[in-house]
Amino acid sequence: MPKLIKNGEIVDNTYVWQQDVDASASDTTIVPMQKWLDNQDSIGNVAGIWIDAGEGVEPLAGVDLSQFEVIGINFPSFMDGRGFSYARLLRERLNYTGEIRALGSFMADQQGYLIRCGFNSFEFAEDVNLDIALTLNKPFNVAYQGDVADPRPIFLRRG
Amino acid sequence: MVDLAYLRIYTTTVQSFMYQYDAIDQQLVEERVAQFRDQTRRYLNNELKEEEFLPLRLQNGLYIQRYAPMLRIAIPYGMVSSKQLRLLADITRRYDRGYGHFSTRQNLQLNWPKLEDVPDILEELATVEMHAVQTSGNCIRNTTTDQYSGVIADEVADPRPYCELIRQWSTFHPEFAFLPRKFKIAVCATESADRAAVQVHDIGLQLKKNDAGEVGFKVLVGGGLGRTPMIAETISDFIPRTDLLTYLDAIIRVYNQQGRRDNKYKARIKILVKALGIDEFRKRVDAEWEHLRGTESTVPMSEFDRLASFFTEPAYETLEEQPSILTEKLADSSAFARWYERNTFDHKKAGYRIVTLSLKKPGQAPGDATADQMEKAANLADQYSFGELRVSHEQNLVLADVRQDQLVELWEAAKENGFATPTLGLLTDMICCPGGDYCGLANAKSIPIAEQIQETFDNLDYLYDIGEVDLNISGCMNACGHHHVGNIGILGVDKKGAEFYQVSLGGASGHDASIGKILGPSFAQEEVGGVIQKVINVYVDNRTEEERFIDTFRRIGIKPFKEAAYAKAN
Repeated sequence: MPKLIKNGEIVDNTYVWQQDVDASASDTTIVPMQKWLDNQDSIGNVAGIWIDAGEGVEPLAGVDLSQFEVIGINFPSFMDGRGFSYARLLRERLNYTGEIRALGSFMADQQGYLIRCGFNSFEFAEDVNLDIALTLNKPFNVAYQGDVADPRPIFLRRG
Repeated sequence: MVDLAYLRIYTTTVQSFMYQYDAIDQQLVEERVAQFRDQTRRYLNNELKEEEFLPLRLQNGLYIQRYAPMLRIAIPYGMVSSKQLRLLADITRRYDRGYGHFSTRQNLQLNWPKLEDVPDILEELATVEMHAVQTSGNCIRNTTTDQYSGVIADEVADPRPYCELIRQWSTFHPEFAFLPRKFKIAVCATESADRAAVQVHDIGLQLKKNDAGEVGFKVLVGGGLGRTPMIAETISDFIPRTDLLTYLDAIIRVYNQQGRRDNKYKARIKILVKALGIDEFRKRVDAEWEHLRGTESTVPMSEFDRLASFFTEPAYETLEEQPSILTEKLADSSAFARWYERNTFDHKKAGYRIVTLSLKKPGQAPGDATADQMEKAANLADQYSFGELRVSHEQNLVLADVRQDQLVELWEAAKENGFATPTLGLLTDMICCPGGDYCGLANAKSIPIAEQIQETFDNLDYLYDIGEVDLNISGCMNACGHHHVGNIGILGVDKKGAEFYQVSLGGASGHDASIGKILGPSFAQEEVGGVIQKVINVYVDNRTEEERFIDTFRRIGIKPFKEAAYAKAN
């Protein structure tokens, strides 16, 4: 079973990230958001959906997100930072409390920021050493800005 | 690792009038050093790929340049203490070749550090509350402001507490470290002049008070130089200061999601603002702000008070305005009078004066300072200006609080150390990027052009007669030398492998900002000085008594300049 990092631990990856919706969609697959929106009546239960860069979270307004165990956000390149905003909006605006999974070409060194934006699982490329990646997930123990874990900026937290 | 015991000489406490780190600020820069040390180690061990290390090192100000890495050290809003400047001098000696380059973002660039030394350099910088965080990369860069902040009479309020607020908010902002492109913010607090060039920034903030007397900002967005220069547009006439951070979050969140990422030359926020139109862009920002306004990032008054408490006035004495020691020297020495007229500026306090230490000495690359000069400048700051300096975006150093009765002494000391070139605001007070001598991006060299112009215009009487002209030189379209907003702009271009120079006229960076117009086909390197001479001749022949170069240009247009520059020799 492939592995991933979730909530700070290396665990089995029990979901399959599907690029397309096909007959194999099931309660263990993560399917493309737009395909799911277009075909939700016929698809049946899925583990979750994934959002591609450029799609944004606006299409999810009005959708009951609690039906998803996981929402994936794809990074077509580690330089593409749109997913950071998407995760914050899922958590802070759409109040999604399930798993938010980073997919695609993000880097282990980005985990600190990704976690602060609301990601809690990381499906790395196969060649990434997860033991090393795990050591990189908290480069800073203090922060100036509020974030998903604590919305208070530093000026509300200084003693 | 660095032997920090060696650095104890830098940690003597002096009274300070700038922001001081607390334990949290200090912990952040130290954790950053540890993070970057590990990233560098993994890169050198081939555990991090080249393309992965690239954005990580850029966010620490480290470029891999033409001949060596370049490290850009942050000088937040241009404020530097004598203690910090001494360490910078020492770092240039021990890790580089004994000099550095002050940039238009008020930062300091080292041209020859070794990659494997950079973690040690950052560790040393952290001991004096300095870093290189976000001085490059597609993130929010060092916020800049007026080099005369806090010491001029006509500012709405001291902009530095707001700059520090923005510095903290932007430092390691988790959502905005991988924007479509770099993002620059500048703050201006005066109506009379704009020394921060807010109209050519991604966001320009004009500090103001509304009719009720509340402090806030007029917010400009979408200005910028580079390949597609644009003057910013007004997105809001007044944002109360308490809402500043939520409003900035809203603007940048819209940009992060909607800015173009398919073409780096179309990725700045100015392209998005232009494509949508300012009204539609404002609508989208307002829609986002609706959600953010009033949340925890709203800044409480207690935080403004806390930040302002760092930028207190030094212990000014009650002094006589224009003391006789000054007025006598002004009458006796035309050289001193010249320096006084050009390189000093009105201070808000009677008996004090703001002094610019020029880094535009002929024969020295504009903005460069040797380690010796940095130490001398630090000494002068201790002796004459409460131990502090500012870096100006015109690439000079400023002593903000000099007693008028000590100006003669300071002038003598400045002369000895190459700081007294009395040309501030004149043609040879050029803004100039490092260009092809150092930079891997440059199409052409810029320093030899600066030298040529210094040689062409080496007569001080003539320079004074020409009067105020901003001449800016960039070695490529990235426009680090701000050529678009120079009254005279010079841009290095590559023409079939040879270095050529395009001249533009009529740019300006103040409240009357404008983008220069291209004069015509580019010139060979050796022609540039002569062309600038012809351009100046047209101005001198056409000006009225009151007119500066830019005024004459705006009145008569580009045609006479074009005719003179391209006229065939008889």
